[in-house]
Amino acid sequence: MNHAQKAEIFNKNEAKVNWHDKALWYVREKRDNAAHGVKGWEQLRDLASGVKAHVLSNLDELLIEFETNAQKNGITVHWASNAEEHNKIINKILTEKNAKKVVKSKSMLTEECHLNPYLESKGFEVVDTDLGEYIVQIAKETPSHIVLPAIHKTKEEVDTLFQEHLGTKPSDGNPEYLTNEARKHLRTKFLTADVAITGVNFAIAETGGFVVCTNEGNADMGAHLAKTHIACMGIEKLIPKEAHLGIFLRLLARSATGQPITTYSSHFNKPTEGSEMHIVIVDNGRTEQLSREDFRSSLHCIRCGACMNTCPIYRRSGGHSYDATIPGPIGSILSPGKDLTKHSSLPFASTLCGSCSNVCPVKINIHEQLYKWRQIITKDVEQPVVKKTILKMTGKVFSKPKFYGLAGRSVRFMLKYAPRFLVYSKLNAWGKARELPQIKNGNFDQWYKEKRSK
Amino acid sequence: MGREEILNSVRKNKPELLPLPEINADLFNEDIDLLSGFKEKVPLVGGTIKQLTSPKDIDNEITMMYPNATNIVNRTQVSSLGTVSISDKTQPKDLEDVDLAILRGTFGVAENGAIWISEEQFYIRALPFITNDLLIILDKKDICQNLHEAYELISKRKRTFGLFISGPSKTADIEQCLVIGAQGALSLTVLLI
Ligand code: SF4
Repeated sequence: MNHAQKAEIFNKNEAKVNWHDKALWYVREKRDNAAHGVKGWEQLRDLASGVKAHVLSNLDELLIEFETNAQKNGITVHWASNAEEHNKIINKILTEKNAKKVVKSKSMLTEECHLNPYLESKGFEVVDTDLGEYIVQIAKETPSHIVLPAIHKTKEEVDTLFQEHLGTKPSDGNPEYLTNEARKHLRTKFLTADVAITGVNFAIAETGGFVVCTNEGNADMGAHLAKTHIACMGIEKLIPKEAHLGIFLRLLARSATGQPITTYSSHFNKPTEGSEMHIVIVDNGRTEQLSREDFRSSLHCIRCGACMNTCPIYRRSGGHSYDATIPGPIGSILSPGKDLTKHSSLPFASTLCGSCSNVCPVKINIHEQLYKWRQIITKDVEQPVVKKTILKMTGKVFSKPKFYGLAGRSVRFMLKYAPRFLVYSKLNAWGKARELPQIKNGNFDQWYKEKRSK
Repeated sequence: MGREEILNSVRKNKPELLPLPEINADLFNEDIDLLSGFKEKVPLVGGTIKQLTSPKDIDNEITMMYPNATNIVNRTQVSSLGTVSISDKTQPKDLEDVDLAILRGTFGVAENGAIWISEEQFYIRALPFITNDLLIILDKKDICQNLHEAYELISKRKRTFGLFISGPSKTADIEQCLVIGAQGALSLTVLLI
């Protein structure tokens, strides 16, 4: 099933889609407020982008510097070329530690490597401890958003799940009650876990340390209570100096949820006496993406989720419709790099309005990269796969290169007009039930005709 | 496993060296009152903040705020309310029933209401998370403007474990409703002296 077909399924529940759309837009607005409150926000984004570009151009040296410094501090460093090696390394550590119970905090990388099913098949108990991830884990689903994993679930659905798995009383989905029940349950998991696995938000070459950001405190509860802490990171998580955290931590939470900073920004440099700290550095397709000049900067991503919250397609199609670990605009650039045939419909799941690029804290030109993938896909992938479902919808607009040229030059203009047209027109699934809205000062068709005749 | 393969692949695929931009902290300087900025931010991130007129009031204030706390770990010189002592022998799991932890904060950050605390202050890494409630005592002079200044301030520290903490543990994972008290401490109180 391609993206549009999956989106159609998500759109069957109109009320839920509307809620999803609104809830994410609200997060986007909170992001705007937070960003506007920072003097020099645009300069911060420029700096972040510049630092990340430097990192990619010097990644081998920085990785070695990071490894050396981490080892000096007593951290064991492992390297994995792909998901399989990553999972095997973790299995080996767990086996050596004679571990049975594992608690995990949010890590999109371990999702990407399908670590949970792998470990479960080896007989380990694995519990996701971020509340949203815990919900999707017991629902036997995957996260539908990288920051808000359970955004696709209603509180009533969570209520039912908790009754089943935690024996809670029916509460009509009372968030306080349910959160507190999860807290109690997860406490027992933290207290009895042998190993904690966390992600890494930033790894610092200069110090060999790493930073993990959460709001719930679950990464820390795991890491400090278990005797062994394994932190998994993609090679692109590196930054040169600790002072650069000043840039990235100012941007991350504001872009993600509109908070000025996450509740906990934990700086790990050394294991405590009697404990072990491991870092697994993973490639899994990243160096290949590094080789693609047009798509290289997608590796700047700090996983804030802002591009998802702002995307009119994402908001009305839901994260699962992308059928990829990282959904939304950035996922639609990353996924085709991994499997072009499977993910060939994703670069078309966009209006190319450019809103994603406008909010991205590390200034990835997301919509331009989406357009570049489209050109490759229409050339490389067998036409019928693409054509039937995608060109039908986008063909009108995008078969005219001149039109795109115009859009590229006046993104602001497109931002105002294009999304509405493309989202709500009858040509696609995302806005099927919607009517084409009136646009101030005339309508889109008229505007388009005028432009076309020029 | 993987190391040489990854490094070689990076070498082969990376672009030409691009310069590392300098941070010009002046760009981000704002003419704000640090203390009032910080005092505004703490409640916004879900915390409670109180300014005391005299350090002598600390214990009274804490007792008033947490009348039911019995298992208290105090890691400061300015309070005498501690009932549970911790040492090298303490296992993180032993702290399961701690009601309240009292810590000293290194400094606060006006832009985000965060406070830097480090292992030296809490000794057992799990303490600020596993405790039911957390109270941080901060000198009102020790507030910096933003994270750029903050990283300057911690650049010379002994690097073991430390964190910026901003408010109590929270989540909005159930239908985006903000709930205070997820997996970490249920509340955070800042006492300014
Ligand atoms: S691409 Fe940019 S906006 Fe999207 S998640 Fe990554 S950093 Fe955030």
